Amino acid sequence: MQAKTLLDTLYQQTEAILDKAVHEWQNMPPQKLNVEPAPGRWSAAQCLAHLNAYGNYYLPAIEKAIQEAQQAGSTPATEFRSSWLGAYFTKLMQPDSKTKMKSPANAIPPTFLNPAETLAQFIDQQERMLKLIEAARTVNLNQVRIPISIAQWIRLKLGDTFGFYTAHHRRHVLQAERALEAVSNPVMAVEK
Amino acid sequence: MLNTNARDYLLSIWPMLPGEVLEDLAAIFQEFSAKRKTVLTAEGEVEKYLYLVQDGVQRAYAIGSDGREATLVFTYAPSFSGVADSFLLQKPSRYWFETLTPSKFLRANFRDFDAVLLKHPLLERLIRLALSQTLEGVLVRQIELQSFTAEQRFRTLMTRSPHLLQLVPHKYIANYLGMDPTNFSKLLGQIKI
Repeated sequence: MQAKTLLDTLYQQTEAILDKAVHEWQNMPPQKLNVEPAPGRWSAAQCLAHLNAYGNYYLPAIEKAIQEAQQAGSTPATEFRSSWLGAYFTKLMQPDSKTKMKSPANAIPPTFLNPAETLAQFIDQQERMLKLIEAARTVNLNQVRIPISIAQWIRLKLGDTFGFYTAHHRRHVLQAERALEAVSNPVMAVEK
Repeated sequence: MLNTNARDYLLSIWPMLPGEVLEDLAAIFQEFSAKRKTVLTAEGEVEKYLYLVQDGVQRAYAIGSDGREATLVFTYAPSFSGVADSFLLQKPSRYWFETLTPSKFLRANFRDFDAVLLKHPLLERLIRLALSQTLEGVLVRQIELQSFTAEQRFRTLMTRSPHLLQLVPHKYIANYLGMDPTNFSKLLGQIKI
């Protein structure tokens, strides 16, 4: 795949997530974000807190890796090729993936959250991500590598890291939307 | 090439502009767009362009010696934008100018702008009037900053530019009002209930 096409797609997907957060979520009563759609189901705020936990790890890691690559004189490659593992992770995370996953214990969000703060942090992180995707246009997505959060010895290509990170975000943003939908129309809550 | 986009924009702000002046002025503007959170002018740079905002929201902000940002102004259509003082005086900017949402502009460089104003004294006059309004706005904001409570500033902004709430992350609005984001969301909750 063309590196430019990949980054353009990821940029546009992140922009869409950010736009939703700015346009809709930050203007609804914050308590609404905190309502569980069903007992034991994550509230919208919990979905966002879960994503924030990943952002707290990945954003600084990606920032650092891009900076180091720039200093080392990395230049962009036209093509990006996913590694086997990278493609697998990204596919697994996609919103339409049928695989159910259990979040690692350290990424399970607390039940009591300050919804406004959680959302503000989420918005901050999406702004940072957009900047990183733009900065990544100056480096080689095949060569820059990021250690994954659950197993530091596995280092995924930057292009794959962006790929599964964004897919994971889209997955839980959809979940957050379903949670909010259920709060607005309790009768229609069909989250299984 | 005839820039009908610039002509329409200029006519919308100055409907009485005579044909020849309009053509000359429209000719100095080029279309330009920028993604979200793009720094268009950094502190220390001389502002190269006068912008007309067609779409999106931008802000000017200063960074204090403690690293904290102070949002000075938001701009959105229809309005001039850019670092006005740096542009007009051609001196290094004391602050930053960035987009807060994807933005579209028409923009003109200083040499062309200066030349067209020299050619058409009417434009000097129109720009003076526009700058007078800007000055008025800056001074009104000065009053708000120095003698309004945070809540009064909040309410004033909500009457003047309520649409900003849907367009930009609230942290920028809170920063513009000199409030911390927690107080801002508290006030926002009160106003809606």
